[in-house]
Amino acid sequence: MGLALPISRLLTLITVLTLTSLSGCVQTIPEDLVEALESLDRDLVAERAAEFAPDEYTRFARQWVALKARVQADEDLIRWPWEPNRLETDLRHLHEEGTRTALEVAHRKDSQRLTAEERLNRVEQRLQAMNTKIVEIDGRLVLGHKPVETELLVKQARSFFDQGQFARALNSADHAAQLLGAQRATLNSELGRYADQDRINAWRAMARRTIQWSRAHHASAIIVSKADRILTLYKNGRKVLSYPVRLGYNGIREKRYQGDGATPEGQYHITHKRGEGHTQFYRALVLDYPNANDRRRFKLARKAGRIPLERNIGGQIEIHGVENELMGQTLGCIMLDNPEMEKLFALVEMGTPITIVGALHSQNAVALALADIGDQEEET
Amino acid sequence: MKSTIHVRGIAAVMLLLLAACAKPPTEQIDTAEKAVKDAQQSGATAYTPQDYAKLEGMLANAKKEVADQDAKFTLLRDYGKAEQLAASTKAEAERVKAEAEKKKEEAKTAALQTLQVAQEAVKATQELVAKAPVGKDRAALEAIKADAEGLTKSLGEVQAAIDGGDYLAAQAKAKAIHEKSQAVSTEIQNALAKISAAKGKHSQPKKGK
Repeated sequence: MGLALPISRLLTLITVLTLTSLSGCVQTIPEDLVEALESLDRDLVAERAAEFAPDEYTRFARQWVALKARVQADEDLIRWPWEPNRLETDLRHLHEEGTRTALEVAHRKDSQRLTAEERLNRVEQRLQAMNTKIVEIDGRLVLGHKPVETELLVKQARSFFDQGQFARALNSADHAAQLLGAQRATLNSELGRYADQDRINAWRAMARRTIQWSRAHHASAIIVSKADRILTLYKNGRKVLSYPVRLGYNGIREKRYQGDGATPEGQYHITHKRGEGHTQFYRALVLDYPNANDRRRFKLARKAGRIPLERNIGGQIEIHGVENELMGQTLGCIMLDNPEMEKLFALVEMGTPITIVGALHSQNAVALALADIGDQEEET
Repeated sequence: MKSTIHVRGIAAVMLLLLAACAKPPTEQIDTAEKAVKDAQQSGATAYTPQDYAKLEGMLANAKKEVADQDAKFTLLRDYGKAEQLAASTKAEAERVKAEAEKKKEEAKTAALQTLQVAQEAVKATQELVAKAPVGKDRAALEAIKADAEGLTKSLGEVQAAIDGGDYLAAQAKAKAIHEKSQAVSTEIQNALAKISAAKGKHSQPKKGK
């Protein structure tokens, strides 16, 4: 009996010690660590981590899902005192990795935003500059649908940027830049002759011959430069007057057929003089367009399929006055303000030669505009 | 001798039963995997990318649990947790799929609405272009006509983006068309106002050229 009590006490002591020891081994996961991870995940979702750092976020999400399952299962909570709490260690490692992912997301997002913003600003500036140049040389119609398509893409890029869709904004801005390049190529193809030295030399030779004719015949002759929009009257080979003119609504182009709005280039003569009351345009000098050269060019172009079969060569090209102040361009004629038309009308006669050229010098407005547009493209 | 045979027989049957109980949940994992794939195909990677990333994590977790149990001694294997994980992955995949489909449908509806607004704006612009008289500032009118044609053509691109499921691009383009269309209409209205002010004073230019 005397021995039984100490054994009973000893057993009680062992039980208490065991329970105390075991309770010391029950390890809990710090709640704030789990909450911190949950908060980190929410931040990553809000920052669209899956979009900006997909690999990193997928890795984080996979681990977080696995660890959350372990936390909920409570499996790792009971350990021997000498064992480390692996779940807590893993959670801490994941928190560190998640923090690194968050930094990476912020860095990539910022980098994409800056790149997209820079590219978008550049393409917007380039679009604006190109539009200004196109208006200066009346080259808008040369480009057809292209300007509106480009503008839509730039607007689309801006819209994506405002929504934080930087990759898409960048993509649209790059596409718009390509379309601007295509616009430049079209302008060069249609108007490149204004920058072609051989062509300019040929136009200069035409003008020289006209002036020489004026000198040799002691008569008047007219030279019109389309690029400079200037009409010059010569008498006895000497410049008498120079007036600004307006051309066809598509005047900068080479005339191809009736209704194209282009002003023809070539050597013509006055075939009729229409005074006041005989024209709707105050006074008019009728030209012999189309001449033999124009007919030959028209036939060749039609044969080559560059002119639709239903189109005619056109006619009634004149130098005339202004019907009303609202009329900005003609349908292909050369238009002067009425006081200037009156003076010119008085100084010329039937048969006076009229030479219409694209440009007379290499630094003409169209060539300079094309060069500027090219420079802008190289800069971007 | 006979009782020894009995004991051996019972032990063998028990082992077989134990082995049979610890069968990996291949079918459940396959079902969960298919559900995740369905979610992906429904557009979850685009419309609910974060949820989808977690879903992949859940599937990987379930597979890992199977692999962990596979690595254990046969008699100690327990695939109960793996089954649970596979079931919850499947359930979550179905939720993510439904969520992605909902968001996709919302984006489609928004894109179609924006397209309709753009179509109406372009139609109004075309009607104004038809009213604009030939002559006067012909270059501007011809440019406006080219713009209106370009806008009409671009509406087709919006429809193509919708048909291709790129609703975000469709919406952005339709919005741009709407804005530009309104700008063109304003330009025409201004030109018309200018022309009507001078109407009656002057005649139209003659044809030809």
